Amino acid sequence: MRSRFPVKVPARFNLIEKMVCLSLVPKRYPVPGPTRSPDLGTLPFVAPKSTTRPLPGQHQLSREFIAQHQRARIVNALALEVSEKGYRAVTVADIVKRAGIARNTFYENFGSKEECFLAAQQFAMSAALSRVVEAAGEIDEWPLRVEAGLAAFLRYVAEEPALARTCMVDALAAAPSSVRFYEESLQAFVSLFRLGRDVSPHGQELPETLEEALIGGVFWILYQRLVAAEPRGIEELLPELVEFALTPYLGAEAARAVADEGGAASATAASNE
Amino acid sequence: MNSPEYPPELARLPPGRHGLPREFVARNQRERLIAGLAEAVAENGYAGTTIAHITRHAAVSRRTFYEHFGSKDECFVAAYDTVMAELRRRVDQAFNEEDEWPQAVRAGIAAMLEFLTAEPHLARLSMVEALVAGPVVIERYDAAIQGLVPYFEAGRKGRSAKVLAGLSPSTEEALVGGMVSLISRRIFADRTEELESLLPDLVEFALTPYLGSAEAAQVAKSA
Repeated sequence: MRSRFPVKVPARFNLIEKMVCLSLVPKRYPVPGPTRSPDLGTLPFVAPKSTTRPLPGQHQLSREFIAQHQRARIVNALALEVSEKGYRAVTVADIVKRAGIARNTFYENFGSKEECFLAAQQFAMSAALSRVVEAAGEIDEWPLRVEAGLAAFLRYVAEEPALARTCMVDALAAAPSSVRFYEESLQAFVSLFRLGRDVSPHGQELPETLEEALIGGVFWILYQRLVAAEPRGIEELLPELVEFALTPYLGAEAARAVADEGGAASATAASNE
Repeated sequence: MNSPEYPPELARLPPGRHGLPREFVARNQRERLIAGLAEAVAENGYAGTTIAHITRHAAVSRRTFYEHFGSKDECFVAAYDTVMAELRRRVDQAFNEEDEWPQAVRAGIAAMLEFLTAEPHLARLSMVEALVAGPVVIERYDAAIQGLVPYFEAGRKGRSAKVLAGLSPSTEEALVGGMVSLISRRIFADRTEELESLLPDLVEFALTPYLGSAEAAQVAKSA
């Protein structure tokens, strides 16, 4: 069953999927040369007044943001506690102690540990995805888009391992609401990868569950690094993860070319900043 | 004397010393507790299961429980290990029955799916409840998944330089993680009846890096 990715994103997609997919619809492939879409100053699908607009220089702002915003501070404390003790063992007392707030303050913001954890997950996933969209949104060629998106995701995981863990490690061990959110998040990534079927010479023959399996594989590799508390090795995984993800669509050689080129592309981007 | 520790089939024996080796009775109790836990968890979920539930299902006393296990978590670990040993045995047997590696992989995956489908409560115990049963189980769970890697590493043997160049140090990990993810999500959603239909996709996904997509698809579709 071939799935044609529509230009108009169906309303049934959740917010995450819309964010990821709308800006990533390919214009054409291959592209003769790099073309920049008109500089709108913001992502095209997000209205200027929308609260979901990604913050500029987000990873620099996040420390200030956390300091100034209580809810985010609590969420961050929960993420740290859970990464150290596991979801089950963490208590609200642990969280308030870590956050340096009163118990009442916790309950002014969240009804329960479960609610707080879900908020942490949503915060983390939304932060990771906005980085992905920011990095990949302007790139026309799907393989390069995947490469840039993966790079941004890995960078987030490396920089915010406790928050990344809530989504990728502890979510399945937490409450049903978190498992549901995990499912939704995976679906968003599946949609992103499915675009590859349109650019693959044999897109129609690919197994139906391919995207699910690819994402599961990438997640499992990152999961292990997170559990072993080795976030620094994560960005080095980029070339092999890119190759793994692109090979089924483009073949091993083309996938490898993208993976190898990746270093050069990001070096150029860095020098242009 | 009616001792609840003795299995029903021994109840006919006269009271007093039966001359049964203590080890036999102990082993039997342990097995009943493990089976009891599995039943209790199937009914109540791990969090909702109490030691009283377990001992009731196992038809043993609370004191007997504590002779074998220090806690609910510990009992769960034993149950988990038992289920995984059985799963491993079946996968191993199916895998080793085939002469050629691609067919062996197919057989191993099929055996796993068959077991999980036939025993949905055990599937749930080992892949869903295990995640909330404490850090010891989670470590075992992770190790069990990594334990599948050698079955796929074996596929590197005899491949051309070109094929080997397309593999990376983490290829087998990624394959195993992807396959388990597909299986796990369906068990989470209580859709174990869909597991066996995953077989062709799983086989094609696993074999493609070693055989190429055409040959992998062929093995995947074979009966």
